[in-house]
Amino acid sequence: MEFNLSDNTTMVADTARRYLKDHYGFDTYMQQLNQLNHCDPSRWELMRELGWFGLPFPESVGGYGGDLIDVAMIVREAGAVLCLDPYVDLVIGPGKLLEYLGTERALKVLQSIVDDDERVACALYDYHAGYNILKPSLSINGSKLSGRKNFVPDGGCANRVLTTAMLGDELTLVLVPLEGCEVTRYRGLDGSRLADVLFDDVVIDEEMILSRGVKVERAVSKAVAWLQALDCARMYGAASALYQRTLDYAKTRKQFGAPIGSFQVIQHYLVDMFTDLQQLESMLFMVSVKADLDDTLEREHACSATKAYYADKGVKIAQQAIQIHGGIGVTEELDIGHYFRLMTYCSLTHGHGDYHLDRIAALGEECDRG
Amino acid sequence: MNLQFTQEEQEFQKTIRAWMRENIPEEISRISALGEMPEKSQQQQWEKRLGKQGWLAVTWPEQYGGPGWTATQRYLFDLERAMAGAPPVSPFGVAMVGPVIYTFGSAEQKERWLPGIASGETLWCQGYSEPNAGSDLASLKTRAERKRDHYLVNGQKIWTTQAHWADMMFCLVRTDPDAKKQQGISFLLIDMNTPGIEVRPIYTIDGHHHLNEVYFTDVKVPLDNLVGKEGMGWTIAKFLLTHERTTIAGVADSHYALARMKMAIDEAPYYIDKQQARRRVAELEVELMALEYTNFRTVAATDEGRPFGPESSGLKIKGTELQQKMSQAMVEMGGLMSLVWDSSSAVGNESFNHSPRRYNFLRACTIYGGSNEIQKNVLAKMLLGL
Repeated sequence: MEFNLSDNTTMVADTARRYLKDHYGFDTYMQQLNQLNHCDPSRWELMRELGWFGLPFPESVGGYGGDLIDVAMIVREAGAVLCLDPYVDLVIGPGKLLEYLGTERALKVLQSIVDDDERVACALYDYHAGYNILKPSLSINGSKLSGRKNFVPDGGCANRVLTTAMLGDELTLVLVPLEGCEVTRYRGLDGSRLADVLFDDVVIDEEMILSRGVKVERAVSKAVAWLQALDCARMYGAASALYQRTLDYAKTRKQFGAPIGSFQVIQHYLVDMFTDLQQLESMLFMVSVKADLDDTLEREHACSATKAYYADKGVKIAQQAIQIHGGIGVTEELDIGHYFRLMTYCSLTHGHGDYHLDRIAALGEECDRG
Repeated sequence: MNLQFTQEEQEFQKTIRAWMRENIPEEISRISALGEMPEKSQQQQWEKRLGKQGWLAVTWPEQYGGPGWTATQRYLFDLERAMAGAPPVSPFGVAMVGPVIYTFGSAEQKERWLPGIASGETLWCQGYSEPNAGSDLASLKTRAERKRDHYLVNGQKIWTTQAHWADMMFCLVRTDPDAKKQQGISFLLIDMNTPGIEVRPIYTIDGHHHLNEVYFTDVKVPLDNLVGKEGMGWTIAKFLLTHERTTIAGVADSHYALARMKMAIDEAPYYIDKQQARRRVAELEVELMALEYTNFRTVAATDEGRPFGPESSGLKIKGTELQQKMSQAMVEMGGLMSLVWDSSSAVGNESFNHSPRRYNFLRACTIYGGSNEIQKNVLAKMLLGL
């Protein structure tokens, strides 16, 4: 085994860190919180120039054939600075979904995401179906789509949505323009922009149906595996930032005439954060390889294990960071509380802790039967 | 980033697996399956068998009798050992005093002591803790007074695991009572058959006899049994803390415990809520995976010539916490079946019947080898700069 990042991945990570240092700070984040459209044109253009849009896609659609771990390192850096630019939601998520679908029409849409600033979001969830991405509550009847999608992470700026719906008993993926739908936008817990979309007998022509059945199930599962891994990458970035800030704070904040880091109880809290962070990093490396496997069992097991572990330990690190900071940790003016919200948000997307533990248990039974 | 074992490593693993299947005495694997530990004769018979194969002192350099394996091979060996139901090798000889002797000992000492450790012939115990020197080890008082041709040792050690089995003890003693705390300590090898040594048992809450008190009354120890120089004892003790930590997390034995737990749940009678139990197992499985991959990183780094330093204290903390959690889960899932202490036949499921023993035993694992609180102090100072 070998756990070193390749030169290429290291370069991607370094570039991301430098880019974010120059273009995204806590001030930027605080401004973005109040904006309704999260696609900042100038940063969007810079990211395109850095090659991020085509990074993990095949050369045939204008991509660079990079790996999940390359994207994970970018997202880790983005998490470390609370960056809200919807890179994953509008590029990686829909892009991987379209790539895995692999039809000519899907790849054409993917190409337009990579090349032409096409804004497509994934609408996979509604509050009735919950985390069950393979059984959405909305359906297509007689070529009309009706029902509602919630929690669509569209950065406040998507033109079209990749929507799952049932056509008979087949999972179907349709690409629907948002104009003509009733869209309600709101701010998510982490500060990102979310949308509810009401499809009120939207007419679906054959052109809009990208694929159906097992192919869609497979593509959705694989794309969501990427998103789960990237949730963890974002959480890792936030967790390491929290650890570093909290350690620095413990060394400088004085009470009883001494830095609070000289007190044993604070030292042990920080060591707990350190050891958890170390294990979170191991899991991130692991999932960055395994979330891209074709073997369903191994892929889903790895994703669920990592998501469950992050939901537990990532959140714990954020809670401890607040505790050690004391009062200032619960204020809007300090970044600590904002990381805390990010952490909670990511612990709930694409399956919360208990969901993933149950999935591991179910996969275990499947293994036994197999 | 590569999470696969090489072809050669996989072949190696297969070889070890086959050998283990052939060579582990059935009696021993039966005991392990219940989470219990072997008797002295069984343990020693097993270690001698490994010794004969050249697989006992696996961490040692080849010149002293090690097999010349990479850290990855050692990990795989340990995994196959555990999964086959063999107990871990007693650490005192192979993992502790052996490396001290080949690092700090004289040529004569190496020749005299190392072969017996590598073959499993000589059993060792560790004379560190005293009634008033536990976590604060450097305040130890056992005195070794230098006479013309021997040291005269007086004092008391406590919590001495396997002292009643051991032929030899490596012991921290105070040779200079006037020097500052850490500086007057020396590292002495003591023959347990020397007159004046009395070993008294301490029974632990698992109902077994692992621990002892050891009393020294005018015990004469040859001057040749001093390792390093007088006053170097503390340096040597610290060296031991950072030596070879790729198995410290107990990943292999936790894998075995998890497999046994799954088996016990599957075999359990209907009253166990299997759904609930499986979720709990999943939780433990996730934690084990996080520990395992962190451990893989230390193994890979060791093979690349960059062994982990104090970071490995984190592995000890996480590993022992997990062992405790798993043993507790086993007791709780067993419910009524875990009420049994010494029935000679199974009441429901035997693994659950025995689970409280291991649960009780493992309360000690966050205490021995430097309590987890002490490990955290070390990490805070050495890594976090606090």
